[in-house]
Amino acid sequence: MQIAVDVLLFAGVAIVAVSAWAALLLRGVFVRLHYLSPVTSLGGPLIGIALGLENGWGLTTGLILLVVGLLAVSGPVVAVATTRVVAQREAVVLEESPQ
Amino acid sequence: MVWYVASLVLLLGGLVPATLIGSRRGPTDRLVGLILTSAIVVLSMLTLAQAYGQPMYLIVPLVLAVLSVAGVLVFTRLLGPR
Repeated sequence: MQIAVDVLLFAGVAIVAVSAWAALLLRGVFVRLHYLSPVTSLGGPLIGIALGLENGWGLTTGLILLVVGLLAVSGPVVAVATTRVVAQREAVVLEESPQ
Repeated sequence: MVWYVASLVLLLGGLVPATLIGSRRGPTDRLVGLILTSAIVVLSMLTLAQAYGQPMYLIVPLVLAVLSVAGVLVFTRLLGPR
């Protein structure tokens, strides 16, 4: 069990770290926005599952999974909203595009 | 010990580049840095709460996860079409 926890934890941490450095080193806002998704949708859940396995069933795990779930759901929403703003500022889409 | 190491890697490997993104170039690049920083800080707080063995510390990442979304959406509104 401890091996599974460690593997999941460090897989999640590695994904987050690599995504962050890739977002820093690559140019362009649209490219950087792509590297938000692995952090919230892959790295976060892996870390959350590792924490859940470590703590077992209980309120602590429930709270951890709630936080990770919120992050996973809100990540794409925030990324899309930001992409839309960037596209409007760079005149890629019409300013009157549907809300 | 594992959780301390994971927290350290998250902070150095994740928060440093996210902060750099959020401190350079135009407002939209900085917003991307802010989003990344918020997500990484939430995850760091989860691992730090585990490292310290204090489940009560989990309230902070919960609140941050909710408020960071609202904050980013406010910024997208403010950075809207000129």
